[in-house]
Amino acid sequence: MITTAVTYDELADLIKRGAGVSVDPRELERASDTPFGILGLDSLGMLGIVGELENQYGTSLPPDTERCRTPQEFLDLVNSTLKAGA
Amino acid sequence: MSTKGMSSKGVNSRGRTRGSRAAITGIGVIAPNGLRADSYWKSVGEGLVVLDTISREGCDHLPLRVAGEVRGFDAAGLIEERFLVQTDRFSHFAMAAAALALDDAGIGRGAPEEPFDIGVVTAAGSGGGEFGQRELQKLWGQGPRYVGPYQSIAWFYAASTGQISIRGGFKGPCGVVASDEAGGLDAVAHAARAVRRGTGAVLVGGAEAPLAPYSMVCQLGYAELSTVEDPSRAYRPFTEAACGFVPAEGGAMLVVEDEHRARDRGAPVRAVVAGHAATFTGASRWDRSREGLAQAIRGALDEAGCAPEEIDVVFADAMGVPEADRAEAGAIADALGAHGSRVPVTAPKTGIGRAYCGAPVLDIAAAVFAMEHRLIPPTPNVYDICHDLDLVMSRARPAEPRTALVLSRGLMGSNAALVVRREDDSAR
Repeated sequence: MITTAVTYDELADLIKRGAGVSVDPRELERASDTPFGILGLDSLGMLGIVGELENQYGTSLPPDTERCRTPQEFLDLVNSTLKAGA
Repeated sequence: MSTKGMSSKGVNSRGRTRGSRAAITGIGVIAPNGLRADSYWKSVGEGLVVLDTISREGCDHLPLRVAGEVRGFDAAGLIEERFLVQTDRFSHFAMAAAALALDDAGIGRGAPEEPFDIGVVTAAGSGGGEFGQRELQKLWGQGPRYVGPYQSIAWFYAASTGQISIRGGFKGPCGVVASDEAGGLDAVAHAARAVRRGTGAVLVGGAEAPLAPYSMVCQLGYAELSTVEDPSRAYRPFTEAACGFVPAEGGAMLVVEDEHRARDRGAPVRAVVAGHAATFTGASRWDRSREGLAQAIRGALDEAGCAPEEIDVVFADAMGVPEADRAEAGAIADALGAHGSRVPVTAPKTGIGRAYCGAPVLDIAAAVFAMEHRLIPPTPNVYDICHDLDLVMSRARPAEPRTALVLSRGLMGSNAALVVRREDDSAR
């Protein structure tokens, strides 16, 4: 377990703060292949979450990170990027 | 708008006759003197004054001291969080007023059966200043990476139209009118035109939130702004003591609907948008606004097919600047002739301030209530006037107004007039 991995709890918190959408982290994890759109997130909301993570970790995420369709896809990309940069 | 547009006949895809009249079937208000249309009207009818020292955070060091604040507005209780995080206070007011207008019209808040049959039009004078300030402070304080993406939509003039449309699922003709304070009337005319062309209903109006530090600093450059610190003396149009205007927050949204659509679903027609015209005479050129406003009045009467004598009440612009007040009194006299000095004139906004584009829409709401309740509301804080007008002061006056003329001017030079009528067959 690497220390820089973003968890479902953190993602749920970012979604709440960034896009005003309340989602239970366990539910997010269980249904991790549910598209963000169905959760009520729009593209600007995703962009805000990416920006927040970049500021938090002091690194750039790949150009199309905000286009990830599902939580699973998103966390895989974010965490593999953070791991590669660590 | 032209009379030609009103008379063109044809049948649209829904079998409706083009050129049918635009009825007002719903009113939603978020104002300093009421967070619902009925409480707003009660306050207006009583001549309640809610002008007060500005209490909003970060504003107490500025020379603008008195305004009409919307207090006790529970944004979180009225609007879903996912809309709240991406919108400014001015859109919160507009979204809340739109929902109230839909309720009043008896149009459900659920997904509309015919989404393309309902449109949204708002007028905006400045957009989302408070939201914009917060993000710009992040830009200069922390850097561009800290500016949230919702900045790209929240502070624009069009934000409220877009959010009301998205929230309600309305996909009919949408637009935003950015034509100065008088744009509140222009927006209603725009909506009425859409209805005459075949759209079933349009949610239309304006709401503003000009009381935040950045927004207030922007207004300090207006020579017409009143910086008087005594709320009872700060905004007294048509008097020798006129010293400018006091700004306000809030506004109103209306449901303007095809009268046949309204009757088919059993919704009461509260009034009809009968005529409108607008002119432009240049920023702060108040002497010239006399001719411009008179021309707007003539145009609105012409479209309404209304003689000057048929106007039963005038809701004045009431800028509160001597030169502007003189021009308005002159315009009323020029356009209405001898009737201009006999017709009751009122300016309820002296009790709440001018909510920029929201102000004339609030006046339309008051005009509809005045016709329904047979009562012309007073002009609070105004006692001795120095113009040849029958201004209703002190207390409301019983009357039977059937046709109202609403006037509005903007600081940048727009003048507009709108005629609303109560119909004989208005079910109420």
